[in-house]
Amino acid sequence: MSENIFEAKNLQKWFPVRRSITDLMKRRQSYVKAVDGVTFSIRRGEIFGLVGESGCGKTTTGKMLMKLLEPTGGQMLLDGQDVTHITAERLKTYRREVQMVFQDPYASMNPRFRIRDVLEEPLLIHKVGEDHQERLKMVARALTEVRLQPPEEYMERFPHMLSGGQRQRAATARSLILNPKFIVADEPVSMIDLSTRAEILHMMKQVQRELQLTYLYITHDLSTARYFTDTIAVMYLGRIVEMGDPDDVIDHPRHPYTMALIAAVCEPVSGKVNRIKDVPIKGEVPSAQNIPRGCRFHPRCLYAKEECWTQIEPELEIVEGRHWVACRRYKEI
Amino acid sequence: MVAERARENKRVLEVKNLKLHYLTSQGAVKAVDDISFCLNRGETLGIVGESGCGKTTTAVALMMMPSPPGKIVGGQIIIEGKDIVPMTETQIRKQIRWEKISMVFQGAMNCLTPVYTIGKQMMETLREHREMAKEEAIARIEKYLAYVGLSRDVLKRYPHELSGGMKQRIVIAMALFLEPKIILCDEPTTALDVVVQAQIINLLKDLKQQLDLSFIFITHDLATEAEVSDRLMVMYGGKIAEIGTNEQIYGKQGPMHPYTQRLLKATPLLHEKVEELAFIPGRPPDLLNPPKGCKFHDRCNVVMDRCKEEEPDLREVEPDHFVSCWRCRES
Amino acid sequence: MKLKDLKVSISEFWQEFRKVKSGLVGLAIFGFFLALLIFEPVLAPFSETNTRWRDISYWDDNPQSAYPIWVNFFSAKKYAESTLLENPEVKEEVFGTNRMVTYTFEYDYQYDIAPADLILKVEGSGVAMMDLTFTRPDGESVLLASSNLNMAEGGVNRISVDKGSKTEAYEFLGYFESRDNLRKFQRSSIKPAAILFAKAQENMLIEPEALKGKYTMQAALLLQRPSDIVRDVKLVIPGRVFGLLGTDAFKRDLFSGVLAGIKWALLIGLLTAVVSVMVGVIYGVISAYLGGWKDSLMQRIFEIFNSIPLLPVLIVMSAIFKPSIWNLILIMCIFYWTGSVKTVRSMGLQIKEETFIEATRALGASNFRIIFKHIIPLIIPYSFASMALFIPGAIVYEASISLLGLGDATIVTWGQILRDAYTGGAVINGLWWWVIPPGLMIAIMGMSFAFIGFALDKILHPKLRTR
Repeated sequence: MSENIFEAKNLQKWFPVRRSITDLMKRRQSYVKAVDGVTFSIRRGEIFGLVGESGCGKTTTGKMLMKLLEPTGGQMLLDGQDVTHITAERLKTYRREVQMVFQDPYASMNPRFRIRDVLEEPLLIHKVGEDHQERLKMVARALTEVRLQPPEEYMERFPHMLSGGQRQRAATARSLILNPKFIVADEPVSMIDLSTRAEILHMMKQVQRELQLTYLYITHDLSTARYFTDTIAVMYLGRIVEMGDPDDVIDHPRHPYTMALIAAVCEPVSGKVNRIKDVPIKGEVPSAQNIPRGCRFHPRCLYAKEECWTQIEPELEIVEGRHWVACRRYKEI
Repeated sequence: MVAERARENKRVLEVKNLKLHYLTSQGAVKAVDDISFCLNRGETLGIVGESGCGKTTTAVALMMMPSPPGKIVGGQIIIEGKDIVPMTETQIRKQIRWEKISMVFQGAMNCLTPVYTIGKQMMETLREHREMAKEEAIARIEKYLAYVGLSRDVLKRYPHELSGGMKQRIVIAMALFLEPKIILCDEPTTALDVVVQAQIINLLKDLKQQLDLSFIFITHDLATEAEVSDRLMVMYGGKIAEIGTNEQIYGKQGPMHPYTQRLLKATPLLHEKVEELAFIPGRPPDLLNPPKGCKFHDRCNVVMDRCKEEEPDLREVEPDHFVSCWRCRES
Repeated sequence: MKLKDLKVSISEFWQEFRKVKSGLVGLAIFGFFLALLIFEPVLAPFSETNTRWRDISYWDDNPQSAYPIWVNFFSAKKYAESTLLENPEVKEEVFGTNRMVTYTFEYDYQYDIAPADLILKVEGSGVAMMDLTFTRPDGESVLLASSNLNMAEGGVNRISVDKGSKTEAYEFLGYFESRDNLRKFQRSSIKPAAILFAKAQENMLIEPEALKGKYTMQAALLLQRPSDIVRDVKLVIPGRVFGLLGTDAFKRDLFSGVLAGIKWALLIGLLTAVVSVMVGVIYGVISAYLGGWKDSLMQRIFEIFNSIPLLPVLIVMSAIFKPSIWNLILIMCIFYWTGSVKTVRSMGLQIKEETFIEATRALGASNFRIIFKHIIPLIIPYSFASMALFIPGAIVYEASISLLGLGDATIVTWGQILRDAYTGGAVINGLWWWVIPPGLMIAIMGMSFAFIGFALDKILHPKLRTR
């Protein structure tokens, strides 16, 4: 068993853009490069956070991991095995090993199904459990794992009869029922009330410890990521620009984008009301169809120099210990 | 007396005992249940709370636009000395809405119709309210586009061609161009990325200064609220739990209401390593059959017997700081 | 879905349905039809209508083209009602080895317009010599028939005055009517029954006045051998009005016919609608779910089917193949399913994008499972509305085909009745009771399902807001 449960090597997802007749004739094809070469490893038993704004490619990366999308380039390894493109048979076992918790807990369950049916479904799909009774026992066990007790009461309810937090627990229970190794959590608490958020995250951490799971935690909220994750990777326009220990990255950011993000985040402290916040960034996010030359962040970077757009894109390099950054000029900034 | 009068003159909006209920077939859902607060000139009042607390309903009530079966069943909303609750829809439409008070909705960028250009939509809204010659209207539109940092090129574009941040700026411009003095913002930055959010917040602060506006800023995010509001109002279960200044709530002393305290503790900090993030077990109250006494008592960790029976009213515990809690009055 | 769930959703649905008045009207009408269907064996005067619709002998005792009975309510002159006289007075006299049995029927005639015929039905075996005497209230007697009857064992001998006593009637007429009037008509064209019941006076042929009173019909049968037996004698008097909906030119009771048609209309309507909608839903959802070129291909195929007008196809198919009702239903299903596809596909496209579908795919569910366990159940409520709205169309198609003479002639459908009405000259002869009832039934049944369908549509329409 390797130390890394998951590895991505130059993973790419390019979406072809619909062509006009002229483009077709000139044989031009442009792409929306949602994920444009990400490389990272996730250690067994850790919570790996993928952080970024909308359009940075974090959700697309998550979906590739889930095999809901097929990579158009690069490599993915699960437990040392190449899983970039797999057969239908291998996919079946893959689905038992890798599961997902979605952002909207209500939309992720069929509203006409009772919780019991929602949770029984994965068992039926993978033909787990001898008979109905045994399956119900497994459902009850999963509900107990996520602290929805007594399970019998929750099994009978429909999703709309549960609160947001309870629904997300049920969704988590569904992802656990097949005993996966790896869970992709896509913004699992962003649609849940603040006062319940921590409760859900707490439950997720407990479950992780008890069942020895690994998480990929996707979010746009840096503060929650800091609290929850063991490693954090900041994505911008399809690439990872900085990665490392959350405390290190947030307290000592090296990439200008990370610095801008951190400056932009609001904090519940007094005294900031009449101050205009200084966010060290300019312009707007370009379209993923027209990725800037050189370092893709350069048009927005306050520190960009000529080398940033004339030379090829910088790769992730180690700053110190467990801290990587993809910036040509990080030493000077 | 003089101080009292001076304070009154500063008030641009006053709400007294406002009640908005949704009259469903199963009974009245008391979405906003007897709240009183005021907005002073040139300040931003934040309304913060979680889902179902009544903050959006309050905004809707202030605009006199309750969606059926919602109805304002009591209270007063006083703008520039006049109570608008008894006014007819026509009067409100002509004199109040968008004239004295306008709103930036949640997900406002989705309020722009995809089939018309920005210019057409802005024109239509402007001329709906004011008799204006075309040139005058365009001039006014361009003026406010400039205020929000957009060039006039944007007038020829369609909504889908613009980014979320740009659309939000346009909506803000539309809320401003009839020159009302009170702007209601309901989660204006929730759907935006954090960098754009910071930019929009900067913009709102700038506009407040330049145009001498008063804002009501509604959000569920305590962190955003801290950077935006001069004064803050925390709602729970359709009622006000606490009102205080930015310093009183977020400063060293901290808030006094148990709910606010715990909500603050549940907000993660970026620059401090937090070991255990707090949470509040339980669920918000059912507004159809609210519990007796204080609405928060079943989730409160310092609950007393009195809290279960009697509902506390909003009392001033120190200048400009109001709390509705029995425990707080003891100390 | 468990039974408990089903019960809950049905009662919830019923609460909603009750609010839509037109739906209740439609449901009531449908219930009425269903009741008629269930009680058909009891209600129909002629229980073998289904099997013997084209068997002339079954209907022989009925008047031809008779008005419905209730016409008498609305007319000043009362039409003779059809009567069956049984249990005549029997007198038997023995003359040595011969037996003379006399059957006497009494008939109290109070109508203004004479019956169509007088039919004596004799059941027996052997040979009998019969004298049939008709006595009127004014004392006049007419010997209507004097003949030999050959009675077969188990058979029934029918003696129709209208057919067999024209000469005798003409002679009787001759005593009273003027020469001028007599010359105007051919002997074979006169109606004996009309004469027999008219006042004996001049102009009785042209403007007969009803002679009201007690009439007797006497059948005297002479039996010579011991093996000659008469078991039963009945007198059937086919009137001018018959039954709730009258009779057609083939003497068939239209009420029984219309009643018999209900089951076929319901069968055709429901079966075609249910099958077509099911096929349409499955097709639409699969097309939406597969997406891409497969979706495009399926849509092109759909468009081909959709552009083919059903009626000409049905006509051609019926002309070529044996037009049994089942073939008809099959062909209709083959082309009818296109109706719901577009809407279902839109609904499917929308549902496909929902997060829970993605989540189910992430769990490893097969396409089959997603389509049949997740998407289609969300569309089924709408499909019921669709089905209800398809039914009227299916019924009308069958009626059209039958009207053109291409339908299944072995069964009784409303379309078939209309067909016979058309070929039987109903419109030309003003036989409105032959044309209107079946047509009206088609319209009413169609209307009831349309109402139900609109009500269902209103409640269940694709506001897929599953919240």
